[in-house]
Amino acid sequence: MLEIARYEAERRLRGTVALAVGIGVLSLVFLAFFPSFGDADLEGLVEAYPPAFQEAFGIQAIGTIEGFLAIEVYQFVWLLLLGLYVAYAAASSIAGDVEHDRMDLVLSLPVSRGRVVGETFAALVVPVLALNVIVPIAVYGGILAIGESISVVDLAMVHLLSIPYLLACTAIGLMLSVMVTRASVASRLAIATVFVLFLIESITASTDGYEWIGSISPTHYYDPTAILVEGTYNLEGAVILLVATGVLVALARALFARGDIGS
Amino acid sequence: MGTIDVDGLTKDYGEVLGADDLTFTVEEGEIFGFLGPNGAGKTTTIRLLLGLLEPTAGTARVLGADIRDERALIGAKSRIGYLPADLGFEEKSTGERVLEYFGSIQGDSRREELLELFTPPLDREIREYSSGNKQMLALVQAFMHDPDLVIMDEPTSGLDPLKQERLLEFLRDERDRGTTIFFSSHVLSEVRRVCDRVGILREGRLVALEDVEALLDRGGKQVRLRLAERASEFEPIKGATDVETTGRSVTFTYTGEYNALLSHLASYDVVDVEIDEPSLETIFMHYYGATDDGGQAATTEGDVAGGGPNDEIDEAGNRPLSEETDA
Repeated sequence: MLEIARYEAERRLRGTVALAVGIGVLSLVFLAFFPSFGDADLEGLVEAYPPAFQEAFGIQAIGTIEGFLAIEVYQFVWLLLLGLYVAYAAASSIAGDVEHDRMDLVLSLPVSRGRVVGETFAALVVPVLALNVIVPIAVYGGILAIGESISVVDLAMVHLLSIPYLLACTAIGLMLSVMVTRASVASRLAIATVFVLFLIESITASTDGYEWIGSISPTHYYDPTAILVEGTYNLEGAVILLVATGVLVALARALFARGDIGS
Repeated sequence: MGTIDVDGLTKDYGEVLGADDLTFTVEEGEIFGFLGPNGAGKTTTIRLLLGLLEPTAGTARVLGADIRDERALIGAKSRIGYLPADLGFEEKSTGERVLEYFGSIQGDSRREELLELFTPPLDREIREYSSGNKQMLALVQAFMHDPDLVIMDEPTSGLDPLKQERLLEFLRDERDRGTTIFFSSHVLSEVRRVCDRVGILREGRLVALEDVEALLDRGGKQVRLRLAERASEFEPIKGATDVETTGRSVTFTYTGEYNALLSHLASYDVVDVEIDEPSLETIFMHYYGATDDGGQAATTEGDVAGGGPNDEIDEAGNRPLSEETDA
């Protein structure tokens, strides 16, 4: 078991390392700006953003290290960019293997189609876990380096609770990967889907009476600002995301189990 | 019950029938040639047999497993080797890692032995491989778990003549060890040399199923003569058809004995003579009569209706059928 997952994870190893280094460095660059940021007219800056934008990125708390991190690193890089990336990568997984004739060879082996989907998902979990180990260490080091401090528990939680969120984004990409035959189309659709869900949640969150619409978006269940600034953890949200992930992966397996490969 | 029993197998792509009511049996321990022009539905049929496509109608049993029953087919697949026409190896993996990966799932008891025969550069990444090296890697992969049945789609494509010869010899040895081989190709000369029986596919339909010898006898031999005198003097011999004379050249299809042909030629001043096996085109002509349709099917590659979207022209397609001759 897990031979496919191992091989697929290995294929993504270089990408995973590059991504971890990239995000780590980006976070450090952001952090390096924080001390000079503290002198700026932050209230004026916050006022300058439209209310929906303030809501989307939780901009009010930007003056503190927690708020700054939550907005610059976790709302923007982690929640939005990384969410888009994992969905994109997942969407090109199965569809790419089918498109480049790799799937024919794999399925000529004594393995079920469901197992291929399941293990491909398992391989996609690896970068999510790896990033959540490497990046917080870089971030914590950066915080200490600029002479600030932060709750280690909150920092750990912002990463731990991001795992279900990123897995849900991965599962959305995986679903598209088995539904669409062209990898590039599947990837673009995945980016569009996650981004639209993010927008829907951001917009409806500040619209009275329509908050419920936002609950279809994974971003509804993971709020880095709440974790870092307020120290509140949405554990229930994490469970909902994990269940949704499980449902989507099961659906992807079922969809891939029937029909033609690659036509 | 044969190793492969195909029963009314049909694949409807909507616009075309990739496989049209195919029925045939591949017996245990034979090399079965599956011959047809590109786009005839060979790859479609193979992908149906491997459960990669779902049949529209009919079914097939491969090593006793119904292809519509995923679980049964998975059981059978541990005894099947597959060499696809389009080799989907991960470009960034080394050959070594690819074999290790496939071996970890299907087994690799014969790996070292095969690597003495086929020699891909294992420590290099696949993206640096020539098509011949990829093909050799695929051959090792297809045979390394000592399967009972090997399904091969254009197995000689990309191999140089020496390696092709080595492969054909290897396949004969494998057959003698009891391995059943399903050999799909559009090159008659190699099918003729290695296969026991051959099924000919055209536009998704099986149009012939015969012993190779019978097929060749029926197709006749292509004779090309160049004479010292004017060719119009040439008296056609009994058994010659489609006689064409231009200047000092004569070409015809001959279905009789060699001896009779040679003694007939002895009465002429022959400058040059070539006797070739029939082209696939000629054999098709035989089966369909001399229709334009048949001729086109054999010469216009990729243009032939009846193939599925997966029947793209592969590397072997560089070698047009009309030029196909046996060296």
